Amino acid sequence: MTTTTPELVRPRPPLARNPLSPLMTLAGRRFQLSARTPRELVVPLLTPILFALVIAPALKEALHTGSAYEAFVATGTIGLLIPLNTMFAGLGVLVDGETGARAELLAAPIRRPLLVLANLVVAFAITALQVAVLIGVAHLRGIPFDTTGTGTLWFLAACSLFTIGMYGAAETLAARVPRTEEYIARVPAIAIVPWFLAGSLFPITALPVGLTWIARFLPLTHALALVRYGLLSDPAGLHAIWRMHSVTTMAALSLLVVGAFAALLLAVAIRVFTRTAVR
Amino acid sequence: MHHALEVHQLAKTYPGGVEAVRGISFEVAAGEVFGMLGPNGAGKSTTIGMLTTAVRPSSSSARVAGHDVVGRPLAARAVSSVVFQEAVVDRSLSGRRNLEIHARLWGVEPRDAGPRITELAAALGLAELLERPVATYSGGQRRRLEIARALTSRPQLLFLDEPTVGLDPRIRAELIDLIAGLGDRAETTILLTTHYLDEAERLCDRLAVLHDGRIVALDTPHALRAELGDQIVELRVAGDGEAALGVLAQDGIAGADAFRVGSTVTVPLHGRPAADAIAGIEQAGLHAVAITTRPPTLDDVYLRLTGGQLAA
Repeated sequence: MTTTTPELVRPRPPLARNPLSPLMTLAGRRFQLSARTPRELVVPLLTPILFALVIAPALKEALHTGSAYEAFVATGTIGLLIPLNTMFAGLGVLVDGETGARAELLAAPIRRPLLVLANLVVAFAITALQVAVLIGVAHLRGIPFDTTGTGTLWFLAACSLFTIGMYGAAETLAARVPRTEEYIARVPAIAIVPWFLAGSLFPITALPVGLTWIARFLPLTHALALVRYGLLSDPAGLHAIWRMHSVTTMAALSLLVVGAFAALLLAVAIRVFTRTAVR
Repeated sequence: MHHALEVHQLAKTYPGGVEAVRGISFEVAAGEVFGMLGPNGAGKSTTIGMLTTAVRPSSSSARVAGHDVVGRPLAARAVSSVVFQEAVVDRSLSGRRNLEIHARLWGVEPRDAGPRITELAAALGLAELLERPVATYSGGQRRRLEIARALTSRPQLLFLDEPTVGLDPRIRAELIDLIAGLGDRAETTILLTTHYLDEAERLCDRLAVLHDGRIVALDTPHALRAELGDQIVELRVAGDGEAALGVLAQDGIAGADAFRVGSTVTVPLHGRPAADAIAGIEQAGLHAVAITTRPPTLDDVYLRLTGGQLAA
C-alpha cells in the first residue's frame, strides 16, 4: 500500500451565536413553505366556519333554541379547528421527510428539538390567525359573545395550550408513520372523534353516563369549557366536569389539565422526533 | 492537530441484527479526496450516516476535524456539509432561499452569506436560476444547487453520497468535472461514495473498497490496479465460467487473484507472457468465445474484491 503525507487540521471553535437565530430561521422556512401551500391554511378553516355560520343557525331554527345555542356551537367549533389545523401542519413534517429538506436540517449544527419547536411556532401562529378569523366571522354573522378581560385570558390560555398539545400529537404521529396516506387515515380518530364527545354541539351531561365520564378525561372537554367560560361567561361546561362551587378553581383545574396535556405531548413529540431522526 | 477525518473500528448493527458496517478504520488527510467504493449494501451510506451523525455507531467512533461524532455532534456538523444521494431540497422555495437557509443554520455571518452565494452561483452555473423555485430545476441543476448549498458554509469536510447517481451521462460528466474542480482547490476535504468506477478513478486520491461492511482494500487507484500486474487475460467461455476458472487454476494458469463474473474469467498475468497463458487456455480445452489481453482497470480490482457482485 502507498502512503500519503497527512495534512492536519485544527478544529474550528464551536459556533457562538444567538440561540434564537436558528429557531427564527427554521420558523421562517416553515412559514414560507406553508404560505406556498394555501390549502394548508384554508382547508382546516372550512368545516368550522360551516358549522359556525350555517349549521349552528340551522340547528337553532330547527330546534327552536335561543341565540345562546348558536354561540355554544360557534365556540365549540374552535375545538374542531385547532385539531384539524395542527394535524394539517403535521403533514408538512411528513412532506419534509419524503421529498423535502429534512435530511439537510438534521445535518445542520443545531439542536434537533429546535426543528419541532420551529414547526410548532408556525402551527401556533396559523392556528391563532384561524381562530381569530372564525370568531370574527361568527361575530359578523351576529353570534353574541360575552367576554371580559379575565375571560379573554382564560380563552387565550386554553387555546394556546390545547394547540401546543395537539401539535405535539401531530408531530409525534408524523414521526411514527412512514407515509402520508397512513397519517391521513389516522386524522379523523385524533381530530374529529373526540370533538363529538367533548361537548362541542351539546353539553357532555347529555351523553350516556359512561361517555360523560370519558368526556371528563378528554383535554378537549376542558379546553372547550374554558373557551366558553372565557368567551361567553358560561361556566356550565366547567360545572359539568368538576361539579364544584368555585368557578375560578374549576377553571384553574381545567387549565392545569390542558397544560399537562400540552407539556406531555410536546415532550413526547420532541423525544420521538429526536429518536427517530437518528437511526 | 488532527486529520480531517479519523475513523477507528467504526461499526453499526441495526435493530434486527443487520451488521451494516463491521469495524472499519481509516484516516483522511486535509484536502484529500477520499472515495468509498462498493456494491449496494456494502455499508457506504451507513458510514456517511455515522460521520454526519444521522446514524448512531454501535461501537467505537470517528472524528470529523477533531470533533468526536458521538461526543460532540454539533461541532462535527458545524465543520461539515453533506450532498445526499436523493434530492434533499425545499422544492417550493427558490434556489437562493435554499442556500440562505443553509448559511444561517451553519452560522455564516449575514454580511458574508450574500457574496458567498453569488460567488458559488456563478461558479456552479446557477446565477440565472437562483430566483426560481427549485421545483422547476432539472436533475443536474438541482444537484449543482445542492453542491453549492453544501459549500456555502465553507465546510472543512464535504460528504458526497453517490452524487451522480440517476443523472444522464452528459450531466454526470459535467458534475464529475465540477467535483474534480472542488478537489483541485484543496480547501475542502472530500469523502465521496460511489459505485461508478470511472468516477472514483478520476476524482479520488485514495479509495477504500467496501464489501459486506468491511474495507477489503484501501490505496490509491494506481496502487490498487498495480496489485493485478501490468496485463490480464479476459476469457469469455460458452459454458460454465466457474468450471472454467477451476480448470485454469488446476492447470496453474490462474492464480489466487483470478476471478469470474458470469461466463467471463479474468486472469492477472503478473509478468507471464500473454501468449503462454492463451496457449495454456487452448490446451485446457475450454470453449472460448473471446480472449482478450489488456491492462487491468479499476473495474477488475473492484470485481475481484467484491466477489464479482455487480452494483445495481
